Amino acid sequence: MRLRHYIIVTLLTTAILVPAGYAYVYWNKSGPGAGLYSREWNPDPVHAYWDPDRFYKPVQTVQGEFKGEECIACHTSVTPGIVNDWRASRHANPGPGKQTVYCSACHGSNHQALHMPTPKICAGCHENRFTQFMDEKRYGFPGHALAMERAVDAKHFADKPKAEVASCLQCHSVATKCDSCHTRHRFSAAEARRPEACITCHSGPPHPDDDTYFASAHGKRYLADAAKQDWNKPLAKGNYTTPTCAYCHMNQGQHQVADKTIWKFGLQEVNPNTSANEVRRRAWVKLCSDCHDAKWSETKLKELDRERKDAWGKLYKAEDTLKDLRARDLLHPGAGQRPPYPMDLMEGLFPHARIGYLDGQASAFYNVSPIERDYFEMWYFANLGAYKGAAHGDSQSVARWHKTMDASLAAIEAEAHRLRARGEAEKKALGKRADPGQHWLDGEYTRYNRENN
Amino acid sequence: MSAAMGTRILALGALLIAVPLCGAAEKAPVGTFSNAACINCHVQRQPQVVADWRASDHARKTPKADCVTCHGNRHAGSLERARSDDACIACHEKLNRAVVHSYATSKHGVITRLEGNRRTWTKPLTHGNYRTPGCAYCHLHRAEHNVNRAVTAWDAFADPAETASDAARDAIQPACGECHAPRYVTEQSGSGARMTGIARMKLREARDLVDRQRGSATPEELAALEQQLAVMREHARNVRIGVGHQSPDYQWWHGHPALDGDLLRIKGQVSEVERRRALPAAAGASPRD
Repeated sequence: MRLRHYIIVTLLTTAILVPAGYAYVYWNKSGPGAGLYSREWNPDPVHAYWDPDRFYKPVQTVQGEFKGEECIACHTSVTPGIVNDWRASRHANPGPGKQTVYCSACHGSNHQALHMPTPKICAGCHENRFTQFMDEKRYGFPGHALAMERAVDAKHFADKPKAEVASCLQCHSVATKCDSCHTRHRFSAAEARRPEACITCHSGPPHPDDDTYFASAHGKRYLADAAKQDWNKPLAKGNYTTPTCAYCHMNQGQHQVADKTIWKFGLQEVNPNTSANEVRRRAWVKLCSDCHDAKWSETKLKELDRERKDAWGKLYKAEDTLKDLRARDLLHPGAGQRPPYPMDLMEGLFPHARIGYLDGQASAFYNVSPIERDYFEMWYFANLGAYKGAAHGDSQSVARWHKTMDASLAAIEAEAHRLRARGEAEKKALGKRADPGQHWLDGEYTRYNRENN
Repeated sequence: MSAAMGTRILALGALLIAVPLCGAAEKAPVGTFSNAACINCHVQRQPQVVADWRASDHARKTPKADCVTCHGNRHAGSLERARSDDACIACHEKLNRAVVHSYATSKHGVITRLEGNRRTWTKPLTHGNYRTPGCAYCHLHRAEHNVNRAVTAWDAFADPAETASDAARDAIQPACGECHAPRYVTEQSGSGARMTGIARMKLREARDLVDRQRGSATPEELAALEQQLAVMREHARNVRIGVGHQSPDYQWWHGHPALDGDLLRIKGQVSEVERRRALPAAAGASPRD
């Protein structure tokens, strides 16, 4: 009797809570913005071009239905550059037996209801590539297909003024339009095969893919051979003298980049020897065997594992130092004495300084104490620089960034020592840690940020 | 003799002097020329070009970028040479690497690089004649020789400079519009202005905070604050360059999060000044002293 009672109560509670949970998430996602915090922000007008499916609204300036040469006739004088570019594309020169792909095929023909092409529209013809691209989602992040969702769900993205974070979407729009790599209006596959197609986004402090690749033996060979290489060839064995970004990460033109990732973004330590990662390791060795022998590739992958273990040894030491300061309330300002961690309902009740990946420190690079920022830079820039160097075969970057990590760790430990001594002196003299000051909570940008997202 | 006739005679006189100076009227003379020789002839043939150049930073600043710097010292290939990115990069890479690097990694720059030597720079800088704009396509659009019309020295703190910067942004828009739709140009430009405005807010917040420390901070503490503020100005400039060159990396990683770091470090330094003052003299000394 009692057992049945428990079962019924459990089932009833589940029957109410699960749909309520779904309804809550659905409600959260139905605001003017996008993603989990869509009710918390309004898009900047420019977002229309980065996520057109969600934000683009046609203009009403020109009336009428146009297609084919009618569009070209007008746009040759209005926007000659894109017409020139299109004329040189395969869309304009489709080859015998195939139809020309005019503007209207992708943008529509009613000038007051034009749309920006999304992957779904490209899928009308390029279905196979679209399916591969969307299939990437099952491997999780990092990857291209989930890039927009993950960007708008990032707490700092939701929190910051939208014009400030517009540049995020410039790269993360790789999920919402195809011209990140196949630039408009040429849409050339041959160009998308070349490393330069990737580097507008894959460059800069947290992912120096460009610098590390071009400094590697592969990259040097690329720079020497690129002009002689026929880039119309498929990304397959024997067609290239040296691998490029796409040769390894999109081999055979597979439109997904996530199936072989072992170390993911490098922001977390992973176990590189799980059964799933062993499968990925074999996939790498097989790919490298287009040129190298298996033993050699296995050794290189093990070197990467060792580099990562070494990096994480350093990062954990710094994290432990910070966690110790947090436990003793020596971070200055501490949580609660600075603007709250973004988008966190509980933050007001239980202020909490975020340390490490699982704690959400990726969104805690502003409004934190200097020592936390020092660790953020060690983790996000030096660590990732070393990782990319090791993965792409650029030993100088590995050495350089490990040296930086060593220096950061030493600086963090020295600063922690100073904060402890300072805290003790204050406790003795004042009975508590000194007030960090109102300037952490106020100021022109700080106010603007609080009021605008 | 009417005034109009007088003008005509004067013009004829000028022509009579100019033609022998420049050799054949239609054919550009062969040989090598100094900058003075270029000006001597072209001031009569294209007075506007020379006047525009004279009004620009290329003529007013040191080192000068004169005719020969960009066009070379002979007529053959002089237009192609000056239109190419190499002509600009030769100097600007040394002046400010961020300017060159932000363009090189932008979509415009990447495609220009991929076109490589297929791009011959033979066409005028207008009408979407190039698949992507090189430096000169935007900054010397339609052979505009006053580069300051479409770019201006930027001081993050000076409001008049921001007005000049707005004017430069407006001046460049027709070049964008030869490939991009009018609304796209307006929205990108507006969003960029807002993004730059936010960078200036961060900078002003930091500056005001530093200003409030004058009087209470020691000279060493003030010097450290000023130094961080100088770094911050560079990062704010990166945002502006990133906006202009459409480089996500300079808008973001070299820009806004870097400014966030500068701002919190300045706040941290100010907290240290206050902490030192809050403690009695003996306990207030830095633990490192």
